[in-house]
Amino acid sequence: MHRKISYKAFLHLNVFLMGLPFVARAADSPIPASPGTGGGASALQASNLLNPNISVVGWFQGMTGHPHDPGHDSEPVMQLKETELGLQSIVDPWARGDFFVSFDQDGNANLEEGYITWFHLPGGLGFRTGKFRSYFGPFNRTHPHDTPFATRPLAEKNFLGEDGLAGTGGGLSWQIPNPWIFLNTDLEALRPPAVTDTPSFDRAERKDLLYVGRINGYLDVTDSQNLSFGGSYANGPSGQELTSLGTSSDTLHTQLYALDLTYRWKNPARAIYRSLIWQNEILWSKHEVTSIDTVQSWGLMSWLQYQFMERWATGGRYDFSQFATDNGTHEYGGLVFITYSPSEFSHISLQASHVKRSDGLDENLGFLRVLFNIGPHGAHAF
Amino acid sequence: MKFKVFLVLVAALFLSPVLASAKLQVVTTTEDLASIAREIGKDNIDVTAIAKGYQDPHFVDPKPSYLLKLGRADVLMIVGLELEVGWLPPLLQNARNSKIIPGNPGYFDASEGCHILQKPTGVVDRSMGDVHPYGNPHYWTEPENGRAIARHMAEKLSELDQSHAAEYTANLKQFEDRLTAKEKEWNTLAATFKGVKVITYHNSWPNFAEAFSLNIVNHIEPKPGIPPSPAHVQDLINQIKRDKIPLLLIEPYFDDKLPAKIAADTGAKMLIFPPSVGGIKDIKTYFDLFDHNLKLIADAVGGKL
Repeated sequence: MHRKISYKAFLHLNVFLMGLPFVARAADSPIPASPGTGGGASALQASNLLNPNISVVGWFQGMTGHPHDPGHDSEPVMQLKETELGLQSIVDPWARGDFFVSFDQDGNANLEEGYITWFHLPGGLGFRTGKFRSYFGPFNRTHPHDTPFATRPLAEKNFLGEDGLAGTGGGLSWQIPNPWIFLNTDLEALRPPAVTDTPSFDRAERKDLLYVGRINGYLDVTDSQNLSFGGSYANGPSGQELTSLGTSSDTLHTQLYALDLTYRWKNPARAIYRSLIWQNEILWSKHEVTSIDTVQSWGLMSWLQYQFMERWATGGRYDFSQFATDNGTHEYGGLVFITYSPSEFSHISLQASHVKRSDGLDENLGFLRVLFNIGPHGAHAF
Repeated sequence: MKFKVFLVLVAALFLSPVLASAKLQVVTTTEDLASIAREIGKDNIDVTAIAKGYQDPHFVDPKPSYLLKLGRADVLMIVGLELEVGWLPPLLQNARNSKIIPGNPGYFDASEGCHILQKPTGVVDRSMGDVHPYGNPHYWTEPENGRAIARHMAEKLSELDQSHAAEYTANLKQFEDRLTAKEKEWNTLAATFKGVKVITYHNSWPNFAEAFSLNIVNHIEPKPGIPPSPAHVQDLINQIKRDKIPLLLIEPYFDDKLPAKIAADTGAKMLIFPPSVGGIKDIKTYFDLFDHNLKLIADAVGGKL
């Protein structure tokens, strides 16, 4: 996952666990001095010094085949699938602020995230508040355009929603001091998303909150290999049920569990040429449909990306998923891709996916995905 | 009782990183800074470098394990000029160590006071490749910049650890005396290949070239960070043949297949040319870096200029 940040880039609390294998590079350029324009450029630069850094990511997508997925069956053959505007800056000596606004192909705006982070609190604590993507597993924290894929993994979509689990609230993060490995824990309390955004949860009563907890670790196996791992838990309202008298209602709940494991390989002496990332995540859900009926379902994904040349990467993904409210059916499938990156700021990818839908239909799709990024571009999260 | 003992032991283990050492904890982004810091701090500091000398310092994964080191650091020493912009910011923001964030005493930018080349003054955009808007960050390859870094470091260490200030001052003098003596040796050696034309893979060497009178005429990368196209490779081959360029200097973290082919096609010599301490096993100190690289060129040219 990469962020287009500037002051030098921001990593949300603890988003260490994801990353495209491309790391930002700022090399050295013998740029000719240009006395005629230098003063003007400097003056303009100075006037902008305290403005937030602005970056824009465009995601064009062409598609062949006919989607059998509700909500996607009328998706156009060509679309500017997403345009994301990022505004990021230091707020004061103690905090920074981040805003991400996305626009769909019709120009509808959506505040994806907007939050302040205090990242140097005493005791190894960090805290953020605002609207943000929940740290329920490494994949959920990744903006869709920052993943290698044209489509969302089935399990992520069926349990957490097309855009992932996000909400307004606060999150506390604590690095657990120990001499052996990196360990971190996160606790979040959020306003629950609507069921139309996230199938596992819904807004019931005003006071009901969604709680998310996560513990994750990181281990260097060798200089070139490392493992990231974590466990996540979410508990929140999934709806309301009228009491037997019909005069009041009880809140129903969903509990979600997830485990993830990521293996990375990259020879540091040849970092720009070869790398591999293999990430696996499995989710379980206990979803109260009524006070006496709980649906237990699950899903998983496993994906791998191999960078085989300086500008080329290939990979694939396997998906299996039941549904939050239905464990009698499931869907499964896979996706393969090859991506050429002329620079860190543009990526051109050909992808093909096959999904066996729950109604037995075979869905075969092909994609051309073009990502481009303008504006200051800072560090990538790990 | 046993349970209490167990609790105390567990607490001690978890607190041990905090209580680990009374020495000043220094984290540097590169081995070069670590080497100079060791010369100045000697036994009074513990030094850890994040990027190894054989790594491209632009491309370092911000691994969470580095956070453990940064979380305990009293001072972070960086090369600056956005050399580390691709990986240091997320580490700094997540280290939960306010001592080492910019503006605080534990944040040390080694580029301050150094002789920086190629500062752009015009408009900068990415059509120029990956640019450093504040100038070329490979400035440590000039010995006088090593001196400036050492002086600056001695001030910083003395400020943070006043009880050993006299030792840092004495160590600095020792370093400078040795550097002065070495510079005479290096300049004598460099005089044997003064003005030699070279092509480097990346634009890592302007300070080194200025210090030792190398003439860098082109780069294998057509623009910083941009892989060479076939047309650029052909231009290089033509240029090497036409201008009789004898040397290709390749940083060890770049694939040497293409430079080796260019060398074979043109008769130029390809040298694996480490820009950092630890770039190869034999380069263990800042002084070794210049000893090794200057001898490499002198041996390759062999008085044929």
